[in-house]
Amino acid sequence: MKLEVGERTGRNHPKRALCLSIIPGLGQLYNRRYGKGSVFFILFAAFIIVFYDILNIGYWGILTLGTLERVDDSRMLLAQGIIALILTVFAIGFYLFNLRDAYKDAKRIQQGWRIPSLRESFQQAWDKGFPYLLVGPGLVFLIFTVVFPLLFMIGLAFTNYTLYNAPPRNLLDWVGFENFVQLVTVPIWRETFFSVFSWTLIWTFVATTCQVGLGLLLAIMVNDPRIKFKKFIRTILILPWAVPAFVTILIFSAMFNDNFGAINRDIFIPLFGHGFPWLTDPFWARFALIMIQTWLGFPFVFALFTGVLQSISSDWYEAADMDGANRWQKFRHITLPHLLFATAPLLIMQYTGNFNNFSIIYLFNQGGPPIRGQNAGGTDILISWVYSLTFENSQYSMAAAISIIIGLIVAGFALFQFRRSRSFKEEGSI
Amino acid sequence: MKKATSLLSSAVFVVTLTGLLTACGPDRDEGNGSASEGSATPANEEQDGAAPEKPEVLTMWVNDEEVQLDAYEQIVEKYEEETGISVEITPFSMLDQLESLSLDAAAGGGPDLFYQPNDRLGDIYLQGLAAELELTSEQLEGYTEGAIQALNYDGVQLGIPAVIETYALYYNTELVPEAPKTIEELEQIAADLTNASADEYGFLFEGTNFYYLYPFIEAHGGYVFDQDGEGVYDTSNIGLANEGTVEGANLIQSWYEAGYLPVGITDDIIKGYFRDGQVGAVISGPWNVSEFSEALGDQLAVAPLPTIDGKNLSSYSGVKGWLVNEYSENQYWATDLALYITNPESALTYFEVAGELPARTDVEIDDELRQPFLQQAEYAVPMPNIPAMSSVWDPMGDAFEFISQGEDPQEVLEEAVQQIADKIALQEN
Repeated sequence: MKLEVGERTGRNHPKRALCLSIIPGLGQLYNRRYGKGSVFFILFAAFIIVFYDILNIGYWGILTLGTLERVDDSRMLLAQGIIALILTVFAIGFYLFNLRDAYKDAKRIQQGWRIPSLRESFQQAWDKGFPYLLVGPGLVFLIFTVVFPLLFMIGLAFTNYTLYNAPPRNLLDWVGFENFVQLVTVPIWRETFFSVFSWTLIWTFVATTCQVGLGLLLAIMVNDPRIKFKKFIRTILILPWAVPAFVTILIFSAMFNDNFGAINRDIFIPLFGHGFPWLTDPFWARFALIMIQTWLGFPFVFALFTGVLQSISSDWYEAADMDGANRWQKFRHITLPHLLFATAPLLIMQYTGNFNNFSIIYLFNQGGPPIRGQNAGGTDILISWVYSLTFENSQYSMAAAISIIIGLIVAGFALFQFRRSRSFKEEGSI
Repeated sequence: MKKATSLLSSAVFVVTLTGLLTACGPDRDEGNGSASEGSATPANEEQDGAAPEKPEVLTMWVNDEEVQLDAYEQIVEKYEEETGISVEITPFSMLDQLESLSLDAAAGGGPDLFYQPNDRLGDIYLQGLAAELELTSEQLEGYTEGAIQALNYDGVQLGIPAVIETYALYYNTELVPEAPKTIEELEQIAADLTNASADEYGFLFEGTNFYYLYPFIEAHGGYVFDQDGEGVYDTSNIGLANEGTVEGANLIQSWYEAGYLPVGITDDIIKGYFRDGQVGAVISGPWNVSEFSEALGDQLAVAPLPTIDGKNLSSYSGVKGWLVNEYSENQYWATDLALYITNPESALTYFEVAGELPARTDVEIDDELRQPFLQQAEYAVPMPNIPAMSSVWDPMGDAFEFISQGEDPQEVLEEAVQQIADKIALQEN
């Protein structure tokens, strides 16, 4: 590429620069920004040279998932393929930047802009690029610790990875949506999936609403001016939150034992003459779980609401008293809207948390009690069911497929929550 | 316009890049698929009695418990003296070994020897992680028959047994002076001592855990999977709802009905009551010896399980053993090392240091609380080591939960077998 030397203001063609930059750096050289051009070209060449092997094996791997049993490990190839894809995305980003840069510089030169010296342009780049330099490493790290495993899981959902078809002995194949189709067509999956899914929804709404309701009730009661020893009572009510949930659940699990647990032995049998089958009957097991979750979850909501209650100005209530509002009206039209406006995003998060509350289900009764004719227990929620599928039946692909469904549901919750939070920000008129 | 051009050119770029890359793939001869069976050339096993050249170092993964590490340090020291091969021990939890092997072994990141329980054998075989061992009958002499079987998958010997564990009858001599010999004597003890309102019981065991229930089923002719003469399991033939199993289940149910076994009993409750001297006898494994003897002192004694119709009960045994890495380059010497660290002398050292029972019949151990477990081990059968077994535990546990609540065993067991079959079909599809 021969460049004419001499003053050429106004003779640079942006389109020509753009076309030259199909090989990064050339457009910049054409704009006579030699430093920048060579940096771009070196970066481009280095990328190709260094990553050629990774990209080559990666793309080949993700397309074929290997061709030789015992030599190719499909899981590794899938991982390498995903890394290759991520690198490609980076490269395309850089490439587009390079095109835009060549085009814009050429345009500016056309308009009579003086080309900065090497030092000046370095200074400019430093000033502009400094924030990116700070954010960059974190971003790259995030891509490899969050995005990469997520993509890997999504990849697995479309393969046939089970115990009987496991690397390194066997190769995996892409099977498209077969796992998802099986989930709704094969009877044992279908029946269990819908019964587990419906209980998961009931569990999420009932348990969370109970814990929020109890927290609300207690917060308002303790906030009443006639109550003495407020600090002491609040401290006591925070305790269930302070004790690690793991410990609490295991102790409850022992206390609810039908024959040996304190709840039947020391409370129900002496008082009513008979106990309840807490661990052996699905209905009572669910009932017990919801009560335990209420116990574990209300202190957080209580603390949250107590804080918000402090911040409601008393002018509101005085004005309401002037208008002759009764207690219920004051609660309904002043207290509740304030509380919910301020805390809605956090409350939605409570729902999301319970939707995936693996630990309580697993620790209390391992998802039991058994139900005749179904391969999930009476209290299994989606996440605990997936866990047992993966560990007992080694259906890795299916577990990944169900995880994607769970992920989409939770993402839906989160999206809803962000939209709500934004609308509150815009509300702002309270 | 600008947009169009940039789009166009980026499309050009992507196309050229993928064109560059579409994956010519790795540079190699695709024709040697079969030759690559274990890129390590398998040691030519004594075709003319000559052993392959000794490697300088053999590596082994030992479960990361201090006593076990100590024991193996002592054992391999002798091996090093005798052979001049140095042995490198890496502490590595038994439960995490497979995951690591499955990911790294093919790339050469595994040890020569690794250590696994027999119930993982199916996973190991299906992932192709362990070398198939060709062992002569004299090499296998002295090992407990069942332990050898336990590490044999579908007729392929994959491992060399190191330790065996099974359960037996612990009893409290204060309450039960003489160990019950027969099941009738055991029932008599239960009838005499059980007083549920005071939390006193004659004998207890985890009556909804199939691991402990199996001998009572097997005694009447129940079985899990049918086995042919080679020891290969036929998963389509499940014997868990046949007459024998139902008879065994009826026996267990009668204990629930008589109140000998309370509903909802758990391992923790059993251990607690036995430690407090409220139970005459319990069925449990050697892992509780130290805990029980601490609590009961001289009152503690152990005996093999009682007989049913004059026949010793076949308890389930678990076997742990040494496997040779499929990708090891020194398979011959790794096998040699595995045989050495499980020979009578090493097994005795291991028992003395780590306290686990040797899977050998030719080792005499002098420990009256542990010796009965070894006696019981002679009648024990290994848990099936095929993956299908993982589909058995839960449905059977659930079935016995229903049985303990008084449901009809025949019906419940038929449902359980149906579930097991469904699960296996699901697993194998």
